[in-house]
Amino acid sequence: MHVHNLPAEPFAAPRGADRGSSDRQPVVVARHVTKTYGRTRALTGVDLEVRAGEVLGLVGHNGAGKSTLMRVLAGLEACDEGTVTVGGRETSGEAGPRAAAFRGVRMAYQETSLCPDLTVAENIWVSSRHCLPRLRWRRAAGDAARRRLGEMFPGHGVTSGDRIEDLSLAQRQMVEIARASLVDRLDLLILDEPTESLGPDAARSLYDYVRGLTAGGVAVLLISHRIREILSVADRVAVLRDGAVIADRPAAGLGEHDVLTLMGAQVADRAGSEPAAAAAGEPADRPVMAELRGATGSGLHDVSVRVGAGEVVGLAGLAGQGQQEVLERLWRPARRDTRVHGSRAYVPGDRQRSGVLPLWTVAENLIVTAMRGIARHGLRRPAEERAAVGSWVERLSIRGGPDAAMTELSGGNQQKVIVARAFASTADLVLLDDPFRGVDVHTKTDLYQLIRHEAAQGRSVVWYSSENAEMAHCDRVYVFRAGRVVAELAGEEISEEQIIAVSFAESDGEQSHE
Amino acid sequence: MNIRALVARPWIWGFAAAVLVWLIIVIISGQGGGQTVSLALSLAPYLVVVGLGQMLVITAGPGNIDVSVAPIISLAGFVSVAVTASTGSAVVGILAGVGVGVVVALISTVAILGLSVPPIIATLAAGLIASSVTLSLANGFTAVPDAGLRQLLNVRPAGIPLLAVAVAGVTALVIVLLRRTIYGRSLIAVGQNRRAAERAGIPVARIIATTYLASGALAGLTGSLLAAYIAPSADLGTRYLLDSVAVVVIGGTLISGGRAVPVGVWGAALFFILLDGLVNLVGWSTAAQNLLKGGLVLLVLFLAGGGDRVAGTPSRFRRRPRPAAATTTTTGDNSHG
Repeated sequence: MHVHNLPAEPFAAPRGADRGSSDRQPVVVARHVTKTYGRTRALTGVDLEVRAGEVLGLVGHNGAGKSTLMRVLAGLEACDEGTVTVGGRETSGEAGPRAAAFRGVRMAYQETSLCPDLTVAENIWVSSRHCLPRLRWRRAAGDAARRRLGEMFPGHGVTSGDRIEDLSLAQRQMVEIARASLVDRLDLLILDEPTESLGPDAARSLYDYVRGLTAGGVAVLLISHRIREILSVADRVAVLRDGAVIADRPAAGLGEHDVLTLMGAQVADRAGSEPAAAAAGEPADRPVMAELRGATGSGLHDVSVRVGAGEVVGLAGLAGQGQQEVLERLWRPARRDTRVHGSRAYVPGDRQRSGVLPLWTVAENLIVTAMRGIARHGLRRPAEERAAVGSWVERLSIRGGPDAAMTELSGGNQQKVIVARAFASTADLVLLDDPFRGVDVHTKTDLYQLIRHEAAQGRSVVWYSSENAEMAHCDRVYVFRAGRVVAELAGEEISEEQIIAVSFAESDGEQSHE
Repeated sequence: MNIRALVARPWIWGFAAAVLVWLIIVIISGQGGGQTVSLALSLAPYLVVVGLGQMLVITAGPGNIDVSVAPIISLAGFVSVAVTASTGSAVVGILAGVGVGVVVALISTVAILGLSVPPIIATLAAGLIASSVTLSLANGFTAVPDAGLRQLLNVRPAGIPLLAVAVAGVTALVIVLLRRTIYGRSLIAVGQNRRAAERAGIPVARIIATTYLASGALAGLTGSLLAAYIAPSADLGTRYLLDSVAVVVIGGTLISGGRAVPVGVWGAALFFILLDGLVNLVGWSTAAQNLLKGGLVLLVLFLAGGGDRVAGTPSRFRRRPRPAAATTTTTGDNSHG
């Protein structure tokens, strides 16, 4: 490939010279693309054009076919029918990671494609070795990663010798995006939910970088559930529904409400969540279910949190400010400053790593926690288990039913199973570790209702979320910053604006972005 | 169940290979095959018992293996014969052998869970301790195995050894254990994804400990029976290290954990015993036998790695779940047979 110019100036400097941004040539064109997996028709005939120098936003529910479409556009899988044209060349049947035609198409995955045991530089080599020198590649890859991370995410705190496993979720996501963008010739960059794990600052600087890329003639395909974000960044928005593109509009003049309607969502007003305000009135009367008293150490400084019975307590603030440490303490109360009465269940956010049991069916995944309570003398009771699974599958309308393999499900449905796993148990306290990242609006609405309903039955919920809007469903919210509780909001005080205000309140001095 | 469903069962291959080897033996020796089967059935149970323990350990997930089974078998052999001789009760002797296995496994467990030593190192160290105790016991050892127990192990009504029937019962119990008990389901969950199992409220440490102790107990049981059947010796268990791992893998249990196939252990054990017979018949040396066995294990791992194992590999390294078509091989029950 074009390796000769690499050592001096590696990786995708925008090439404005040979491709004027005015002509807007299509980079990748999909025509009548279909794809079927077993019984599932993932794509039913997609027509999509991504043009040079534009940001195309792609939205759709989980299960609408986004992931499949991405894999086809990136050349990881061949389509069954239809054609994919890359840079004017038709690529019928040619697919797989080594397909030459797709070399200029790069993708950053939501659940990162990095090898956890390798360092950042080594991961760069894995995906970009064709444009690295054979000798001293480690230094070249490290330099490139450092430079790109610096451009994309100032203040990222990653060094090229860090092992991926030791990085936080947000840092891993940054490395993943940088990895995808590092190539000698970039035509199309696909970003799959790039900001789900990132804080607002990182998201902003990423989008600044994306605009720079498109100005240089690169096309960017952006997938996100954060519709406002898409509308503010994208030039065009395509809506995917049931495996086909059902709308393709310029982003200008489009509102969040319009997009949601196109996606087929019944837009649930958040004002409709009545119980939150009503229940918050008498926090003092509730018996205490769990408590942290002046907890200090491992990322926390003098944190006091109280959870009453039947209360939904939110942990808010920017990502990685100590919320997960609080959950960890409540899950494994080893220290004296933590007291938890009753049994606990945990809903992990990183579902691939700490949620899914990949060899099992939906039913087996769902019941694994509850089976302990159902069993007698260590022996399972299959009839009772089946009944419990059946009612949960129906209640959350989990697609595929109880006997589907877990890995056949879309991400949103997998998440439903994992949430059901916790609530199907008899646990008094349910801990939610930002579990609704990358879950479609419809599923989220169902799960919010579930949480309120279960709380009304007397269960306590501690809910960490990076999505501030979700906190409206809580009775009380603790806002974290740098391992401290900086505010406690209750009832009417809980609002996105308020949370953002307190999260940033102390930071105005140090972070001059605002 | 049609042919295709049968072929998809991972345990079928061990039996198929055993039948093939049996046919070759019958053709070469020109004698009736019944006696060969009877002999294989009287030798296979020892391998099956230790193999079942190894299977539980391997099912606990990547990195879990028990290399202390061989020294445990040797040590348990001596201890059980000695205790039987001094107490006069074979039952007490067998229990002592099982107890020895549990004690050695306890050392491994403490090292694995308490000190975070990798299982292969921890069981190796515990095995070394067991071997040195064995050596000191073997010095000037005079007791002889219990004649009654030896007779019982040799009873073969209608050509079927009583022991084989008993061990078949044990296998059935293990199947029930894996399918119907909380421990069994927890073990399979831990083997698939340890972090997820921990977050699902499974007491991972307790499950791992139970598993290693069970493996130690089963190895101790094997040693006690084997010493009564043959005679106690310092290298009684030596061949069972490679063989126990091999029968588990050939039997269809996932080497990466999360799927146990107890019936497969039987098929693979019969295959191995018959293979020994065939190789002896042809007149190969022990070295050549081991070469053949090692090659077979590698072959099975290679074949499994090409299909089943990759599709079922826990997702830590995968960015997306595989599309439906690729995972159908792993969607069945996790405790076949």
